[in-house]
Amino acid sequence: MDELFSLFINSVFIGNILLAYFLGMCSFIAVSKNIQTASGLGFAVIFVLAITSPLNWLIYHGLLAPGALSWIGLPDIDLSFLKYITFIAVIAALVQAVEMIIDKFSPVLYASLGVFLPLIAVNCAILGTSLFMVERNYTFIESIVFGAGSGTGWMLAIVSMAAIRQKMAYADIPKNLDGFGITMIVAGLMAMTFMMFSGITL
Amino acid sequence: MSDNNFDKNSKKNVVQFALMLSVICSLLITGAASGLKHLQQENIKLDKKANILKAANLIKGSNKPPKNEILRLYQEHIKAGIVNQDGQPVENETNDVLHLYYYHTNNVIDGYILPINTKGLWGKIQGYLAFENDGQTVSGFSVFSHAETPGLGGEIENAWFRKNFKGKKILNSQNRFVSVGIAKGKVKNLPKNLQDHYVDGISGATLTGQYLSEGIKSTLTKYEPVSILFRQKRLKALDQ
Amino acid sequence: MTNETTGYKDILLKGIWRENPVAYQVLGICSALAVTVKMSTAIVMSLALTLVTAFSSMIISSMRNKIPSNIRIIAELAVIASMVIVTDEILKAFFYDISKQLSIFVGLIITNCIVLGRAEAFALANNPLDSFVDGIANGLGYSLILIAVAFIRELLGAGEFFGYPIIPSVFYDAGYQNMGLMLLAPGAFFIIGLLVWLKNSISESNK
Repeated sequence: MDELFSLFINSVFIGNILLAYFLGMCSFIAVSKNIQTASGLGFAVIFVLAITSPLNWLIYHGLLAPGALSWIGLPDIDLSFLKYITFIAVIAALVQAVEMIIDKFSPVLYASLGVFLPLIAVNCAILGTSLFMVERNYTFIESIVFGAGSGTGWMLAIVSMAAIRQKMAYADIPKNLDGFGITMIVAGLMAMTFMMFSGITL
Repeated sequence: MSDNNFDKNSKKNVVQFALMLSVICSLLITGAASGLKHLQQENIKLDKKANILKAANLIKGSNKPPKNEILRLYQEHIKAGIVNQDGQPVENETNDVLHLYYYHTNNVIDGYILPINTKGLWGKIQGYLAFENDGQTVSGFSVFSHAETPGLGGEIENAWFRKNFKGKKILNSQNRFVSVGIAKGKVKNLPKNLQDHYVDGISGATLTGQYLSEGIKSTLTKYEPVSILFRQKRLKALDQ
Repeated sequence: MTNETTGYKDILLKGIWRENPVAYQVLGICSALAVTVKMSTAIVMSLALTLVTAFSSMIISSMRNKIPSNIRIIAELAVIASMVIVTDEILKAFFYDISKQLSIFVGLIITNCIVLGRAEAFALANNPLDSFVDGIANGLGYSLILIAVAFIRELLGAGEFFGYPIIPSVFYDAGYQNMGLMLLAPGAFFIIGLLVWLKNSISESNK
């Protein structure tokens, strides 16, 4: 239990999927202008991650990994090279489902998220989390915790950035630095502050 | 195919298209994967050998020599061995044997190299820890694979971190086994009697250092019988 | 004939500078930050992305009249994913050490907004050859930014160029130290923010 808690805290703060591994930047920059939309997107990402990570674990360890097919009598087959395409298919399918759910239950949120909802499917953070999960050889439970943790970390980053940018609306930023440039520099400062978490031992 | 009646959205076309695309993609991917698999596995084996040579200081620094050089050095100086729980070399591979590598020159053993396989902060850390034939002095360390954060824990694979292991001792002045570990901060800030048993830590990567230290200690404890044999000078040549 | 060459020149200029995918279209940042710690990884990544974008744009463009609208995105992703998988397999076979360092980022080319973005924005409406050139152009634009960032990060952060130390040891002896921050996440963010500021200022003063 300790290990799982520690994994969760690690993936939110120390190995924050966005501030330490740079995944999920495109929507990060585009959606972080408004706290409401940022939180909505953040929750959607946590949901998608907490489900795709274990789902992809099952598919990888049940079908694709070297030796995984021994339960149907084919222990020598190694299909791990198919992981990219299967993971992305699972993610795209789940995002489609999430879209339909959000449209049904909160058309307002659906409208405000606009095109960024389907774009979750190509958010590098989602695919990246599944790929990390394979590379780091997590167990099934760990993959759920890691997915939820990565999502939470991503949401934390995007909501903080939205809060900062709303405040920055009153600042006098040079025209060519505005938008992308200043967002990057603020992200850099945020990354620095998150690095301080690496000194904490649980 | 500028057929005016061609409707790309027709059900028939959707199915046909999807099937064609799936077949072509599968052939392409599977062809590439199986065709190149042999080469890829060769690369992995070569990388392992290079890391064993790095730990034994037969390859210096971070640059890898050409493939033939690696194979030649490995052939001439490294021999894989199996020992039982008491450290005695055995012939048969059973479930409770330990694997290691002997570093030899003309069949005279100069040292031995142990595989380190430990949990890291993010995933497994795999590497090799090499010892001189006195059974207590570390002669080198290399990292074969890890999943640590680049720039932080990932520094364990860099030359500056690895070379600090050389000369460290796993026995203290009272001849008790203390292993070798990664300090939190710099070694020169530790009390003098501990300095021989630690290397400089990586700033910002305390946890990686801790995991690595624990992993090294538990591995070395398992292999203590082998080290003891070396300290007693009982393993001198390969064909004993 | 003149029309074609000016056509290509226009496509190239747009992709590399005027509508640079990273600085102007704000696409493909994820990998731009992660692989720029060293020049060697940045170059391999740039090459991989350029080739994947060019070939997938060309393939998608050649199918553009046959792709059913409701499976459009999935079809594009399938083509892109296949290209990426083949690239990954080739890297693991012929450039093993670099592929170890690139780790998951090669696979992430699939979700790299540039590849999908060009497929949607260009390949679906233009012929295969133009699409190929457009893919190369945007890939080169991406490479430009990547290599610039990697050059700065490796120089300031490790004092090296392509792994060869170039800061003379007299500097180190006199007290110069490598700027470790450059090798870490914040350094990447700062450099790319400043570079884009620079690029936008240059573009503006040229208008």
